[in-house]
Amino acid sequence: MPRIVNHRMKRLTAMAVALLLAASAHFAAQADPITVEARLVLGTIKEQKDQMEVSAAIKRKLARVFKWKHYYELNSKRINIADAATKSAKLSRAASIKVTNRKNGKVAVSLFSKGKMLVQKTQDLKPSSHMVLAGSTASDSAWFIVISKSK
Amino acid sequence: MNENETELRVQALVDGELAGTEADELRARIQGDDALRELHARLTAARGLMDGAELPRPLPEPGDFHWSQISEAIEREDRQARRLAKPSTRAGWLLSWLPPLAGAACILLLLTSPSRHDGPPDLGIMLGSDHELELSDDTIDVMTYNTGDDNMSIVWLDFSIDLRPDTLHIWLD
Repeated sequence: MPRIVNHRMKRLTAMAVALLLAASAHFAAQADPITVEARLVLGTIKEQKDQMEVSAAIKRKLARVFKWKHYYELNSKRINIADAATKSAKLSRAASIKVTNRKNGKVAVSLFSKGKMLVQKTQDLKPSSHMVLAGSTASDSAWFIVISKSK
Repeated sequence: MNENETELRVQALVDGELAGTEADELRARIQGDDALRELHARLTAARGLMDGAELPRPLPEPGDFHWSQISEAIEREDRQARRLAKPSTRAGWLLSWLPPLAGAACILLLLTSPSRHDGPPDLGIMLGSDHELELSDDTIDVMTYNTGDDNMSIVWLDFSIDLRPDTLHIWLD
């Protein structure tokens, strides 16, 4: 009989550990509320004194990859998104984004032009990293939508 | 005295089991008999060879040795029995019901987990372990780039967007 009790104790311990793991996975799978910053940036070779330059950190990152010398912030939006929620922001007359706060730190960003979705990008967006959706314009310049997560 | 008895007495003399006049008489007889003298010499030599080859004798155990062994065995069994003693009735009831209850709780938790229902959709293009890309227009050329330190991920679209400001500043919640 003592051997049977000992076996039951072992089984109980294993079940308790499994329960704890399941509970921790359940809570880890939930997303925390996040704040996302979305910036519409123009990259150009011509200096435009009437425009506000983008922050030095973003300019450094963009200039390391792209050819343009000047990067101007045309618009910026700060979006607070609850767990598993989606919020939209209009960045220009034609461009808007939808941002979804997914679990495990993932953020999904959909880019719309005149109401039509062009692309959706989903990734694990760390506070120090940036998601950039970009494209060229007619006048040898480029547009950038720089998404970052506030700390 | 027959020959066998004489040999046994010589053996006893060599082994030191004879003493006094009996030993003296046998010694005198050995001195006068060549055969007995040879036998005595052979047995003495054999005894000398065996002296160094005797097995060690174990020390006698004290009288209470076995009792102490038994007492320790009884105490050991008592301790083991106390450790594995059957729990109380209520604890036994809990032990019998907790494993199935815990299992049911696990299943319930997994079934009600929002992660089952809110998982990401199956998007078109997989960029990496945590990057997913879905395109809605096949006519747009797309390039993707990730910096080496993964600090910046870029999706480049061959598409021009109207960058003029939105005069109404409407949030599209």
